[in-house]
Amino acid sequence: MTLANVIEWLVKGLVWVLILLGGFAYLTYYERRALARIQVRVGPNRAGPWGLLQPIADAIKLIFKEEFMPARADKLLFTLAPIITLTPALVITAVVPFGPESASFQLFGRTITWYIADLNVGVLYIMSIASIAVYGIVLAGWSSNNKYATLGGLRSTAQMLSYELALGLSFIAVIVLANSTRLLDIVEAQKGMWFAVLQPVGFVIFLIATLAEVNRAPFDMPEAEQELAAGYHSEYGGMKFALLFMAEYDKMIAICTIAASLFLGGYREPWFLRDTVLGVDQTPWLGPLYVFIKVFILLFGMIWVRATWPRIRYDRLMAFGWKILLPLSLALVFLTSIGMLLAEQVNPLYQWGIPLASLAAGFIAILGMYQTLRRKEYARA
Amino acid sequence: MDFTLLLFFLLAATAVATALGLLLSRNAVYAALFLVLNFATVAVFYLLLGAPFVAMTQVTVYAGAIMVLFLFVIMLLGAEKLPKGEALPWQRPLAIGAAVILFAEAVYLLVQRVRLTAALPDPGTWENSMESLRQMAGMLFTDYLLPFEVTSLLLLVAMIGAIVLTKGERAVRS
Amino acid sequence: MNFVLPIFPEILLLALGVLILILDPFVKRDEARRPFLGWFTAAGLLVALTLSLLLARPAEPALVYGGMIRFDGLGFLFKMFFLFAAAVTALFFMDEEKLARRAEAYLLLVAATLGMSLMASAADLVMLYLSIETASIPLYVLAGFMKEDDKSIEAGFKYMLFGAMASAVLLYGFSLAYGFTGETGLYALALHFGDFNLLAAGVTFLVLAGLAFKVSAFPFHFWAPDVYQGAPTPVAGFLSTASKAAGFAVLMRLFTAVFPAVNADWSLILAILATLTMTVGNLIALAQKNVKRLLAYSSISHAGYALIGVVAFSQLGMTSVAFYLIAYVLTNLLAFGVVAIVGRVTGSDEFSAYNGLSRRNAPLALAMLVAFLSLAGMPPFVGFIAKFYVFLAAVNSNWVWLAFVGVLNSIVGLYYYLNVLKYVYLFRMEGEDEEKHPVPVSRPVAAAVVVLAVGILLLGTLFGPWFGFAEQAAATLF
Repeated sequence: MTLANVIEWLVKGLVWVLILLGGFAYLTYYERRALARIQVRVGPNRAGPWGLLQPIADAIKLIFKEEFMPARADKLLFTLAPIITLTPALVITAVVPFGPESASFQLFGRTITWYIADLNVGVLYIMSIASIAVYGIVLAGWSSNNKYATLGGLRSTAQMLSYELALGLSFIAVIVLANSTRLLDIVEAQKGMWFAVLQPVGFVIFLIATLAEVNRAPFDMPEAEQELAAGYHSEYGGMKFALLFMAEYDKMIAICTIAASLFLGGYREPWFLRDTVLGVDQTPWLGPLYVFIKVFILLFGMIWVRATWPRIRYDRLMAFGWKILLPLSLALVFLTSIGMLLAEQVNPLYQWGIPLASLAAGFIAILGMYQTLRRKEYARA
Repeated sequence: MDFTLLLFFLLAATAVATALGLLLSRNAVYAALFLVLNFATVAVFYLLLGAPFVAMTQVTVYAGAIMVLFLFVIMLLGAEKLPKGEALPWQRPLAIGAAVILFAEAVYLLVQRVRLTAALPDPGTWENSMESLRQMAGMLFTDYLLPFEVTSLLLLVAMIGAIVLTKGERAVRS
Repeated sequence: MNFVLPIFPEILLLALGVLILILDPFVKRDEARRPFLGWFTAAGLLVALTLSLLLARPAEPALVYGGMIRFDGLGFLFKMFFLFAAAVTALFFMDEEKLARRAEAYLLLVAATLGMSLMASAADLVMLYLSIETASIPLYVLAGFMKEDDKSIEAGFKYMLFGAMASAVLLYGFSLAYGFTGETGLYALALHFGDFNLLAAGVTFLVLAGLAFKVSAFPFHFWAPDVYQGAPTPVAGFLSTASKAAGFAVLMRLFTAVFPAVNADWSLILAILATLTMTVGNLIALAQKNVKRLLAYSSISHAGYALIGVVAFSQLGMTSVAFYLIAYVLTNLLAFGVVAIVGRVTGSDEFSAYNGLSRRNAPLALAMLVAFLSLAGMPPFVGFIAKFYVFLAAVNSNWVWLAFVGVLNSIVGLYYYLNVLKYVYLFRMEGEDEEKHPVPVSRPVAAAVVVLAVGILLLGTLFGPWFGFAEQAAATLF
């Protein structure tokens, strides 16, 4: 470990954090515009051309707002909580590669790669950071000394614990498919085919579970306005609120980046463009662009979901997490492992059994869900 | 001084300080948070020893799942404030005595450690950590297969036991 | 060596547990089919016992599964007795309404048995700790199974807290041992222990404390009376027999395998511990008015007697411990079984509930006589032979004073055992109309009681072959 190494990490980290901060600002703009379109409105369009300066105006407003502290709040934790919430959102993507090794460039005599850290246990790193991300929210809720806020924090805890299991298991499916826990390997393993195609149900579970992990609609129970008066952040204002807000949107960006890397081939081109001039093997600098496009599309998906789906009732949310997602993702791990074993030992074509089997399992899960709901309806009638 | 050694002492101090904070804080939430910090510090120890898998698992399982559950229960019950004073006042001197004895033994053994001939495995490095992950998986399913399976059984039984104790018995339909 | 054989009984137990879980929903709807689960469990355990005896007997002692398990005679002998004790306990469960209706009770029983079986043959610290937990956690739940009964909840809670604490202490000992030798295998550890006296002392101290809890030996016996009193009686019976025997199995293996080099140091400590355990248990038992508490204190003192054999630390000593435990399992199971029956009918465990029992149900009173006299160590019951060999082993190893203390304690014990029998045989019920208050005994319990009583007599008279088994088993330790 040399000083130059440390400086390189610091600079890369700083650049990435700045990108995330800017991304946060423009994600809010993106979301408001997209929501407006879906609801046949116009959205923010006054500040600057097409309203492009709106996020900056918002930021200035938040910075100059008065900071206040509830009288009987736990002062230390109340101040720390937004920071604790934001930090995991910023560091979780440290292991995600944004471009292939061949896209590395020379700067001051050093080879600069397109990732911050090349961690051999990258997936586990993501998992562990995701699992501690809840602390900020639960502490924000508790330290406010407000029952709605505390309830919001508690809801968030229970929800994250429940969906983390499904999330972890969908990670395992990816690890099995790629035969590695290193993100570069995982992305390279999707050269031939995206894992989203090989394990479609796993991808869907990942998306659902991450939605729950970042408390986005339809899983935004911890901050349900109608029930909890905005939940864990109801006592926050000014920059502290901005940090919590920022954390939520940065988490969105982070999980979309991770989803793109784990399931959509990361910086790799779509598999059908592999040997063309659009492939990263021939034009390496396209890598970061591909990541950006994928993240952009995934983000739109999240906004779309928010615009169209009602919030899930809390007991249903728990039941769904424990009784549907968890068994289903366990079954997927099992099916994926068997498929990979067969593909390795017998015939590579068996790998196509994985999507078929997983789709069948997903279908059975949906059927079971439908049956339960129907039985409940009969019971009520 | 070696960078790793410096880091080690820094971490060791943190670990001890957080452990003490856990014991001494009169607020259960703070105690739990100190424990989280302690787990995180221990995780970094594992990293230093070249066991990133164990480190990540430590964070995920202990800091990320178990302690979150602890916090959840503490907050749900509103049991943050611990009572002042001792229920059994004679316990404290006894505990301190036992702690001193154990500490003395640990120090003595540390001094005697040099005499040990048992060759401990060389801690791996970052570079071969994927290899160590594979090795660990191999160990888990060969030498440690039986404990591994017994653990799963233990967890199943504990889960059933918890359900038996907490879930109300439904009235038997006649 | 065959891959399955060393853990054959455990595999059967696992299969049985899974079957119970699967069968549960089918039986749940139908009240009439409820007893089926109890019979099924008992039969399954006996089948496992028979099959293991026929197919999976160990030949030469060998470390298997990467050194996790030592496949030897001692482990096997204990396993067979755990299976037997669990089968009998399952029959007793059928009489206890709250336990009988829940498949989980049987499942937990089977799981605890599985854990104990592994305890008896574990040869690695990791395996040992896991198996102890596997045996303990179901027992915590079983002790607190009667959720409507405050005493049962207290029992479960106390047992769990004490147990968790003991596990923690044990684990400290294990981690010290591992940290300074780099080994987890018991037999590999032994190589390092010879020249590390202070380490050995520290580890021994911590491990001994942890195991003393399991066998309810002197300074860690406080939980026993409260837990035995509050827990459902069949569970208390199982706790006091199989669980204790499992603790002793670990103790014997640990001390013969790991600590022989420091033998002299801990023998004296263990001897003092045995003396205190016997004496404290017996003296407090004198003051009891509740049969379950009396049996709890008596079981503490029995742990002391068995410890004498461990102190002797010879082949005869280990043999005598094994035989003592066999005898004790049979006898105490019977005693608790009778207490369960009487407690269910009279609704009380006080001595006064036993007034005129001999007239209310003569065979039951006879069974109780057999059990209590055997506990007291009277010929021709198995308790006598067991005690005799333990004391003999002590004398042979020059622990004469210890044997003497043991004999004195037996005399104290005889007093309070006979005191209970006085209520059974001499006292009359109020109104002297015992014929109108029969004590009915259900079929499964009657079967269990008969088997146990016959066993006590059989082992007490024709003890030769059984002692031979124990001898062969103990020989595999050295």
